[in-house]
Amino acid sequence: MARSFKDKVAIIQFPGVNCEYETVDAVRSVGLGADLLRWNEDPALLEDALGVIVPGGFSYQDRIRAGVVSAKDHIMDKLSELAVAGRPILGICNGAQVLVESGFIPGIHWERVDLALAPNVMEDREGYYCSWTYLLSGGTDCVWASAIENEEVVPVPIAHAEGRFTTDDGKVLEEMKKNGQIILRYCTEAGQIDASFPTNPNGSLENMAGVCNSEGNVLAMMPHPERASWLRQVPEDLGGGWGMKRRKSGGDSGKMEAAGPGRIFFESLRRWKEGGE
Amino acid sequence: MKTEAKLWVRLKVTDLVAQTAWMTLTEKMGFAGDLCGVLRYSYWAMEAEGESAGAVCEAIDREIRMDSAFTNQNKHFYSLAVSGGGDEAASGDLRIDGDFPRGECGGRIFACDLFVSEQGGGRDDGYASRLNARLAGAKVTGMKSGEVWRILVRAEDAEEAARKVEEMAVTRSRQHGLLLNPHYQAFEFIGTAEIDGQ
Repeated sequence: MARSFKDKVAIIQFPGVNCEYETVDAVRSVGLGADLLRWNEDPALLEDALGVIVPGGFSYQDRIRAGVVSAKDHIMDKLSELAVAGRPILGICNGAQVLVESGFIPGIHWERVDLALAPNVMEDREGYYCSWTYLLSGGTDCVWASAIENEEVVPVPIAHAEGRFTTDDGKVLEEMKKNGQIILRYCTEAGQIDASFPTNPNGSLENMAGVCNSEGNVLAMMPHPERASWLRQVPEDLGGGWGMKRRKSGGDSGKMEAAGPGRIFFESLRRWKEGGE
Repeated sequence: MKTEAKLWVRLKVTDLVAQTAWMTLTEKMGFAGDLCGVLRYSYWAMEAEGESAGAVCEAIDREIRMDSAFTNQNKHFYSLAVSGGGDEAASGDLRIDGDFPRGECGGRIFACDLFVSEQGGGRDDGYASRLNARLAGAKVTGMKSGEVWRILVRAEDAEEAARKVEEMAVTRSRQHGLLLNPHYQAFEFIGTAEIDGQ
């Protein structure tokens, strides 16, 4: 039988990604179908897909600049077409770098590269940084965050060396703010925006952690929601309600299989689908 | 005496990053007709003070040979050239003026050296402090660090060559530019020369 992505989420497997299987599991955990699509397979297979996720990892070994080689791949022509047609597309970490280098995000001038995910700027260290962060939601309606309350704090881990959203075009930044496209910002456990490290773990402009296009169907986020989709993935020493829930569930394998905070992003897609797309 | 020192470093083995740039530019971005070769170097341009160009060259050479932040002799070729006060000195096992990829490429060929650095200086201060902590007989007073992409292109003249290289390098959209993102990186041409067709 011919392979079909009808009503499923396609997870694009560029050479060098390493989060594709967890991402499939996270999508399936909310009752949606998901399968991998290799980057060199026929892009027409995506025609009926419910949505597309470009997962995290090191596509093309981050050669030249993270995400830029994948951005030039043929399959991105199809993703561009789908995005313009309103199909939900999510880029996580390296996937976010691909979407930024493709000009899908911020997408004010479609396919024009108006942002960068530059090397982290951190206090007393450089390079790769791995930690749990707190994200403050806000901004415009975005398919991938529609189940999150406005100003809700969602803990999700990051793991990257190049995650600093930046632009040298002040007009673009103003436009993004005006459109409410900055939907996730690094914050303290209490939801306060603080530009200093480690609250803002990479020196991101405006504490940006996730940026949506103005139409609300394409999201690029540096944190990894698929690594926070089960309670068992939450560290015991995490602050706030999620940490407490995790500690209370310790030793009970059934409770540990409950949803974690990152699942809300995939749950958002499910609600969007059920709401008639 | 004030001197200028330039350090070029490249891998002894095939550079897979340069190879990926070549394949992306030719196979995915439509530059197969223009592009004749790509090399990539780590590059440091320094201002340094010392007794003479020779003394500065000797001092810097001694340190960079022992510090893998600059060179690792198991992996890298390097060229260090120092000039100042009408004097010149050099060291290293790489002859930068003659370092071109081999291959068949007809027509007029220009080698353009594009220096790419991080806006705001990136790691420049760190490199300068690292050297100054150990240098004897010289002091680094200015530092610019980054990568140099040596791009060989077919063109009618140097101006057209530079225009083509800029089009290949500066990422303005999904279809245009690969080697740098101008939202956090800066670039400048530090050399363009016509070379013999190979």
